[in-house]
Order: sequence, then C-alpha cells, then structure tokens
Amino acid sequence: MFKKIGHSEIAKLLSEWSKESTVLVPTRADGVTTWAKWDGRDVSFLDWYRNTVVPPKSFLLPMLEEMFRFQKGKDGYSLELPPSDGRKQVIFGIRPCDARALAIIDLVFREGYEDLYYVNRRNNTTLVGLACTSPYDSCFCTSLGSGPGDARGVDLMLTTAGDQLLIEEVTDKGKELTAGASGLGKAAEADLISAREAVELASRKVTRQVDLKDTDKALLANFEKAEFWEDIAAKCVSCGICTFLCPTCYCFDINDEMDRQGGARVKSWDSCQFALYTRMPMENPRVEKWRRVRQKVSHKFLFYPLSYETTGCVGCGRCIRRCPVNWDITQVLNSLTAKVA
Amino acid sequence: MPQLQHEARALLEQGKVDYILGFEPGTLKFSTTPLITKNKEDCARLVVNPFIANNLSVYLPKLKGRLGIVVKGCDSRSVVSLIQDNKVARDRVVIIGVPCAGIIDLDKIEQLVSRERDEIDDIVRQGDRVAITLGNGKKEFPLVSVLADNCLACETPIPKECDILLDPTDTLVTDPSAGQQRIQEVESKSVEERWAFWEKQFERCIRCYACRSVCPVCFCERCFAEETEPQWVSPAPHWQDNMSFQIIRSLHVAGRCTDCGNCERACPVNIPLRSLSKKMVDLVDELFDYKAGTDKSALPLMASYEADEAEGVFR
Repeated sequence: MFKKIGHSEIAKLLSEWSKESTVLVPTRADGVTTWAKWDGRDVSFLDWYRNTVVPPKSFLLPMLEEMFRFQKGKDGYSLELPPSDGRKQVIFGIRPCDARALAIIDLVFREGYEDLYYVNRRNNTTLVGLACTSPYDSCFCTSLGSGPGDARGVDLMLTTAGDQLLIEEVTDKGKELTAGASGLGKAAEADLISAREAVELASRKVTRQVDLKDTDKALLANFEKAEFWEDIAAKCVSCGICTFLCPTCYCFDINDEMDRQGGARVKSWDSCQFALYTRMPMENPRVEKWRRVRQKVSHKFLFYPLSYETTGCVGCGRCIRRCPVNWDITQVLNSLTAKVA
Repeated sequence: MPQLQHEARALLEQGKVDYILGFEPGTLKFSTTPLITKNKEDCARLVVNPFIANNLSVYLPKLKGRLGIVVKGCDSRSVVSLIQDNKVARDRVVIIGVPCAGIIDLDKIEQLVSRERDEIDDIVRQGDRVAITLGNGKKEFPLVSVLADNCLACETPIPKECDILLDPTDTLVTDPSAGQQRIQEVESKSVEERWAFWEKQFERCIRCYACRSVCPVCFCERCFAEETEPQWVSPAPHWQDNMSFQIIRSLHVAGRCTDCGNCERACPVNIPLRSLSKKMVDLVDELFDYKAGTDKSALPLMASYEADEAEGVFR
C-alpha cells in the first residue's frame, strides 16, 4: 500500500517506466512551465515545480487532433482513421487538482457517452500524483473538498516525507508501475507521519477560500437578471484563457480542412467565452458578454452539481493567475452568496 | 483624499460622466484590476501605482454614455486612435491622464529573484531603484532592470490628449536601447533563423485570442480569424495558422498600435508578441512618418494615401 523512494532514485525509476511508456514531466521552456517527454536525466523539477500553465488535460483532450482523413474516389469518399496510438503514457507529477479534474471530464466523456478518442487515451494513461508543497496564492482547492495531498483521481500518490517521497498505491494501475520497480523501500510509520505533516503544512498555505453552501441557489435565483450579470461581467474581455487553461473545460470545435481531393476532420479546443461559439444560422443565444460569463459560472457551479453532484471546478486557480484583467472567480462566488444573504 | 479619487468622484457627482473607468487593487499580489463603476463611493478604491498595466480604452467602444477614463501615455494615444476611427466621440470621454512613471514587469522581477510573484513579500519603487523584499531579506535593483520593455522605449509617458492631468508621482526612467533589445535580437537573425524562431514561438499558441481581446485597437465586430467564407486562417491552432493570424493582426493594427504592451503581457504562453507589434510601430514611423494616436484630427494611417509615400512598399 505505502512505499517510499529517495530523490536520487527517481531518475532510475523514470528510466524504467520510459521503456514501456512515454513519461511526461514538468519542464520549463521559454519561461513557461509545461509538460514534456522526460529527457532521461533531469529531475530538478522536483525542487521548483508548482504547476504547469496548460493543464495536463491536453494529453487526453489534445488542443488539436485529427479525427479521420477522407479522400474522394470514384465511388464517393473513403475514410481513414488515424493510426491508433496504443502507447502508454505516464503523467508524472500531476497535481491533485488536475487529476480530480480528469475524473470530472470522465463523467462527460467516459461515463455518459464514450468518446473513443478520449477513452483510449485515458485507458493508456497512468497518473502519478505529486502532493503540493507550495500552493499558489490563487489556489482554493481546500474550499472544494480537496487539498494538496488529495489522492482521489491519481493512480500513485507521491508525498514529500523528509528527504524521501512516500508512494501510496492508489489503484491497480498504479501498482503495475511499482511492481518490480527498483529503488523502492517499505514505508515506515514515521514516513507516513512526516508525509501527513507536509500535507497539513501545505494545506495551511491555501488561504483563498470560497463558501459554496448557497452558490447554486444564488445562481438559480439570479439566472435571468441581466443587470446582475452585466455587473459581474463588466471587466471581462472575452478571451479564452480561463476556459482553455481550466483543467475541466472540454469544449471543442470541429472543422474539415480539405482541398478538392480530400482532407482531414480536425477537432480543436473551443471556448464558451467566444461569441462565435454559439453562433447559429438564425440566431446566437449568447451574443452578449454577460450571457457567456453566466454560462461559465453556471456550468461549473449550478449545472454540474445538478447533473453530477460535483462542481465543475477543482480550485487550481489557473483562471485567476492568468486572467489579463484579474477577473477572479472566487471573488465572484463570494459576492454571489453575499448578495443572497 | 488622493487627487484621482477626488477628481473621479467629482465627475460622477456633477453628472459629467456616467461611468468611471480606472484601476483598483487586484486580488493577487502586485496586481490591479479594472474598475468600471457608476457609483461615486467606489472612487475611493481607485489607485495609481506601477502595476496599472491594462489599457482601459479597450472598454470604450462597447460602453454607452459618457465615460471618465484613467489613462497612461500609451493608453491616451489609444483613445485618440479610437476617436480617429470613429469608435468613440471625443465629447463622450473625459480623459484623466496619469503622468506615467512606468509599469513594473513582474516577469522580470520573478527572473531577478528566482521567485514567483506570490512568493515575494514586497516591491517598492524608490526613485530610480526598486526594493524587493523576500522574507527577511531585501534586494535592490535599478528600476530600468524591472520596467516593462515598452515603458523603457516610451516617448510619450505624459498623456497629451487629456482633460484632467494628475500630478506626477515619479519620473519615468527610460532606456530606449534596452526596450528595443529583444526586437533587435530577432532582427539580427538570418531569414531562416527568424522563421525557425517564430515557428517555435507559435507552436505553443493556444489560440485563446487574449492578445486580441486586450487590444483596444482590435475593435472589429467580427475578426477575420472568424470568417468562414473565405476562411483566412483555420480556427484550429496549427502553428502556421497561429502565425498567419498574428501577422494579419499586426497589419490590421499598424498605425493604431501605441506599444502599450498588453498583447504580450496577456499571452499565457509567453509569445514575444511585442517583437512583432513594436517592429510594426517602428516601420510605420519610418515609412510613413506616423505615430499612432498623436493627432485626433488626422486621418487613420490606413484610411489615407498620398501618391508619393512609401513607394518602395507597394509594388
């Protein structure tokens, strides 16, 4: 159930996993913290990594994906599916919030409806979580029933325990990775205590709080009030940052890219914050900005709770950190309930 | 009561404006956020500090009524540019000018102290130096090492077109060559190297359009990027389409861009967009002897043509 590994043994472990899987680790390129295939050496991210700008959802719902190719022939069109990428991938260092976010995407793409592109990747992906030690001031996971050490959603959970990492085998998939792996030791009671202390310390650093007790009621009660939403949406500039960087947002666009002979059907990220998103031949139900902002907030904090008994937000804080005008979801949520009370 | 708060409140009280557009402290460290309000009591929250980075003129075309807007030098030129393009009438805006002393670039600070912004305790500007507090330690740096590139290159920190000019708090310290450095780095590359450089930059574009959304002169009701007949660029983020989008955008804002730096600042994946936009500003100046937003009665650059101008450009 619990094992441990020294920092110096991590590279060896990743090497072993790299034989069978593509191992993705946090890295820094052009000033952006991102995911990249492990280079076979560098594990220094263990010292500096907090979270990536683009969430790891991009390895399950790629920003750009070819669904199939089509070719015009004598007897009409022929279709060709992309070669199935059966290779396994390990996302090493995924944060608890981002792993929980994938469990939320599962509700839509795996459980209600099976999106084969997503499901195949999901089945081939193992999530190795890394508990947070230095959350951002924009993080608010603890208000959403989670926290820096939350192991729900990952297959293996790694937590700092002194100069070692405690490994919790959460799922069978996780156990497959640790089975026979070298460098792993048996965790002692003291390691568990040390890890728990590290998580508690990190939890205390999550200072941003939201009270979601009456949020759904407030959203429902004010749903039709244009002025109420215009006020909330006033400074939003309708870019796609908050949705594209959101680890649970999954909306996509489909386009055929072709010449006279054929081409490809491609799927790419789309955002409910773009006016074009809901544009239809006859009308656009969300022409006004306030309707789009209302959609974003309501989807995560009203529709998700109604449909799935969870919020569509995990409190990763990316939308707050990266918003070019500091439109802060926690401020909005707290003001909603304040207005109702 | 600080001067800005007093002036803004008076404008609302006297019915001279319907809205005040200014800056208030943001919810993150060293951040400010746009304050758009009808309520005179809110004016007590207005601030001027080295973090008022946004160009608030982006909100002008869509807001109704009379608008009191807080502007820095570059922003005031954007307002003028919008007036030139008939996007806002001069008599609909009361321009409150901030004699700008420069915006602090938090990315530069993060690099200097190897800490992210939320891990820094304090940043204080003291004349031509800046003091950064980390825990018990305090480090001092020359101001020029932390000011935004566009501020270092700024020629118009004091808003010229304005109705109320606030008293200066500090003087802008510029370093034009430092402000131009990253652009020159790109320029010094061979054509092949430059192409490879931009390909690499645009590979990570996520097409969030934040560059367009924060840009006051990207005011089109419908952007070319969203046209489908014909489709100028694919909505899918292929690097080629990302690059095409940005090249076309650069041409569309030529003669309107005032180098406020907000496209680059907004980019979540650090694409050096100012290396395109400032280059375009320089080209416009060089070819047409034109500085955007400096003359509200001038025709917009791209709406006028003189037979003998820039003959070398159009062939």
